[in-house]
Amino acid sequence: MLTDDELQRYSRQIGPGVLSRQGQERLRESSVLVTRAGGMGGPAALALTTAGVGRIVLAHGGRMITPDLNRQILGSEATVGEFRAPHFADYLRSMNRYVEVEPLDHEPDDDEALEIAARVDAVLSCPPTFDERLRLSRAAVDTSTPLIDAAQWGMMGTLIVVDPSRTACLRCVYPQEPPFEELFPVVGAISAAIGSLAALEAIKILSGCGEPIFGKMLMYDGFRGRASQIDLRRDPQCPVCGDAR
Amino acid sequence: MPLTIRLTISGRSYDAAEGVPRELQLGDGTTVDDALAELAGQLKNGSVLPDTCLVALGGAHLGTIAEHEPRSLRDGDELVIIAPVAGG
Repeated sequence: MLTDDELQRYSRQIGPGVLSRQGQERLRESSVLVTRAGGMGGPAALALTTAGVGRIVLAHGGRMITPDLNRQILGSEATVGEFRAPHFADYLRSMNRYVEVEPLDHEPDDDEALEIAARVDAVLSCPPTFDERLRLSRAAVDTSTPLIDAAQWGMMGTLIVVDPSRTACLRCVYPQEPPFEELFPVVGAISAAIGSLAALEAIKILSGCGEPIFGKMLMYDGFRGRASQIDLRRDPQCPVCGDAR
Repeated sequence: MPLTIRLTISGRSYDAAEGVPRELQLGDGTTVDDALAELAGQLKNGSVLPDTCLVALGGAHLGTIAEHEPRSLRDGDELVIIAPVAGG
C-alpha cells in the first residue's frame, strides 16, 4: 500500500496512459540490476529511481575519469578520480528516499550475474563489451528474468528487449561475438535518450502497465534523425535459449 | 522490371558507406544477397561491412551479413543494416 507521501510524489505518473496505482505498487515491490551505470545505465538508473522502483543493484567498477563527464550524469567533476559505484548510489538515494540502492564496485562474473539475475525482476544491460552483454543475456535466460539491452555508438543507439525463452536473446541476434571497440565515439545526449528508453521498458515490464517491445530491436539514428524497429528472429538452435539447449 | 529499394545503414558504418545512395536501383528478381553484393561494390576504398552486421528487410530480422535467411526483394522494400554496437 502506497503512503500518502508516496502517492503525492508519484501523482504525475499515476492515471490513464501512465501507471495504475497497482502498477506503481508493483514497481515499489520490484528490483532491477543495472550494469553498468555509465552513459546509458546512469540515466536509466536515475529514471528508475525517480519512478519509484523499490531496489536497484548498481554495478560499475573503476574510477570516474574526465572523459566520462560528457555522459555519466550520476558523477560530477567533484567525483573524478573516485570509485563510481558508491558515489552514484549516494546520488540516487538523494533523489528518492523510498528506493534502496545496492552498489557493486565491479562488474558481475558468470556466477554473480546468475545469482543477481535470480533475485531481481529485470536486468538492464548497458556494458561496453559484447562479452558482458552476452553474459547478462545468458543469466537472464537461465533465470527467466526479462532483459533490456541498451547500446550506443556516436549519435545512434539500439535497444533490445528480451522475454526469456519466448523471444530472441542476444545470442540469437549476435551468433558471433562482434569485436570490442574500446574508445568508441559518443554524444551524451544519445546515451541519455537510449538509457531513458531502456528504463521506460523496465518500468512497463515491472508495473504491468503499457506494452513492452519484447522481441524487438529499436534503433534510433540521431545523426540522420531516423528510427527503425525490427522484429527479431529467435533462433530455435540457439545454444543459450534454443529448444535444443 | 527494375526495382528500387531504400537502404538504411547505421552510424558505425557511415564512413565505409559514405557516398552510397540511400536508394538502390536493382534488377527484377534481385535477392538480399544480390543487394549486399551491390552495396559491397559501392563502399569507399574497398571498405567492408563487418560480417556481424544485423540485416533486416521490411522490419523483419533476417540474420547477419555472414548468415541470413534468403529473401527476394520487392519494389519499395527497406533493407536495414546495423553494425553491432556495445557502447555503454
